[in-house]
Amino acid sequence: MSPRVLLRLGVRSLLVHKLRSVLSILGVVFGVAAVTAVSAVGEGARREAVAQIGSLGIDTLTVRARPAGSGAAAGGRAAVGLRLADAEAVRAVVPHLLAAAPVREAALAAEAGGRTTQAGVVGTTAAYREAASLRLASGRFLTDVDLGDRKRVAVLGSTVASALFPFEPPVGQRLLVGGDWYDVVGVVEGRAAPRGRPGPIRTRDVNRAVFVPLPSLDRGGDGGADSIDEIVLRVDDADRVGASAEVARRVVQRTTGGAPVDVVVPREILRQKERTQRIFNVVTGAIAAISLLVGGIGIMNIMLASVAERTREVGIRRAVGASRRDIAAQFLVESSLLTSAGGVLGALLGVAGSLAIQALAGWPTALSAGMLLVGLVVALAVGIGFGWYPAWQAARLEPMEALRSE
Amino acid sequence: MSAPLVDLRAVTKSYTRGTREVVALREVSLQIEEGESVAVTGPSGSGKSTLLSIVGCLDRPTAGEYRLGGAAVAALGDEQLSRLRNRSIGFVFQAFHLIPQLTVAENVETPLLYAGMAPGRWRTRALSCLERVGLLPRADHRPSELSGGEAQRAAIARALVTEPRLVLADEPTGNLDSATGEEIARLLEGLHRDGRTVVLVTHNDALAARAQRTVRLRDGRMES
Repeated sequence: MSPRVLLRLGVRSLLVHKLRSVLSILGVVFGVAAVTAVSAVGEGARREAVAQIGSLGIDTLTVRARPAGSGAAAGGRAAVGLRLADAEAVRAVVPHLLAAAPVREAALAAEAGGRTTQAGVVGTTAAYREAASLRLASGRFLTDVDLGDRKRVAVLGSTVASALFPFEPPVGQRLLVGGDWYDVVGVVEGRAAPRGRPGPIRTRDVNRAVFVPLPSLDRGGDGGADSIDEIVLRVDDADRVGASAEVARRVVQRTTGGAPVDVVVPREILRQKERTQRIFNVVTGAIAAISLLVGGIGIMNIMLASVAERTREVGIRRAVGASRRDIAAQFLVESSLLTSAGGVLGALLGVAGSLAIQALAGWPTALSAGMLLVGLVVALAVGIGFGWYPAWQAARLEPMEALRSE
Repeated sequence: MSAPLVDLRAVTKSYTRGTREVVALREVSLQIEEGESVAVTGPSGSGKSTLLSIVGCLDRPTAGEYRLGGAAVAALGDEQLSRLRNRSIGFVFQAFHLIPQLTVAENVETPLLYAGMAPGRWRTRALSCLERVGLLPRADHRPSELSGGEAQRAAIARALVTEPRLVLADEPTGNLDSATGEEIARLLEGLHRDGRTVVLVTHNDALAARAQRTVRLRDGRMES
């Protein structure tokens, strides 16, 4: 029989039992839907992590003082983790460095022309631009002269710039930060900010930052003028970032006398994230396999019932010239049509589900055509795999006995 | 002279029912020439239907040889046997054996699915066969909406749709009253007049008498 005739025959007999056909594919529908939705969520999380870590740069690492009071902070220098001297030592010793910038930060209100916005004020050096791979939209970044003269100049993140100066170019304007007036000398190009939930690592939102010379940002009181929060480093080769991180850790440990510091390496976090993702994929795959197995058993069950019920039809078809192969093909096409329809419905349901998750829970999701295709192919394979046995049962019936059956 | 269309030589058929061996046919030898009409009679359980299913290639002999149109059936595989049933043999059963989910016309088309004919030509062919048995107005009805005589006419239309040389009828009037039985008998006679070989199983002696030749079976053996 030609494929067209087979398809026609299959559709015809499935339509005879519409409700039964629909019920029998529910297992496959929900299996494929669950796989589609769950992998869309997983893929969304992965892309978000990659984007977030990518914005930090896989060739960077950050040495960060642990917040006071956490970890083993009972030593003499509990309040002051890092000092400017540590940054100098790191710059001098760690190999393959492109740039090293000390950072002191404070969350302060910034105001100008009657407008106010919350800003992450970053006191740093000229090297930060290179270390964080910043690009300027206008003006200039901080210079060594700004630092040496303790000038009150500021470079704005794009969000801060548009919040404070919506109508005029910010460069040349003044703003008030923490009780001091600063001249705006530059604006940093905007970066796509990671959406939604907090990411796997704390990242600085450069769009909401105000960069000022390190000596100008004096928080007063807590440890003196040379205390810093972070050292941001960038190496010339992403493959060396791990080795450099190890050296930096040892240097800081020696110069601070064992102060509690973290060395954050985005590249390794990315790797770890990918390992987690692989585990997630395996678990998802196992759940998918189980639900499709259950769906497939449902299909086999309904096909066996169908063969038993249509034994006489099989006998009639055999008598008028159907071969065993024709009979097997007829039932295989029916089971494959069932699961393919289940696959299509499941994929649609999965897409709808992932959109709903994105809308209601705010989790980012990502759908790929490849994933949908895999779902359909698997559904078809389930139809053929689990339809095989019932089809064989039908094909091996003896025509005369099939005709005599009730 | 050419070989007989149906040529059974010492055909034996036995079944195993549980632990018991049941012999349905014992060394039956029967030749039927092309164009003949033959009635097979005998009491219930004498092996009539078994004989017909072997002639119709729905079953294989346990022993003995069967040649259909000169070809040894034992040597044919399932595909070839199915093709033979499809092209050369038309069946008419006592219980009509129409597929209940399909319309009358679709039932008549069923053999064409397996004949490799283009689907576009099925309907015309089916309708012309229905016209021959006078059932054209019922083409779109379901089998359950037909009377017994109409159902049997539909089955005859189905048996004719591939233009087979051999028509096998197993008690075709067994489920019908005498008036409709007469209609069916006339239709079968018409098929014989058209040049087809007709083999009829019946225990109705009046019907058997209308065939050119009668073969009697008793306990699986032929009485001559």
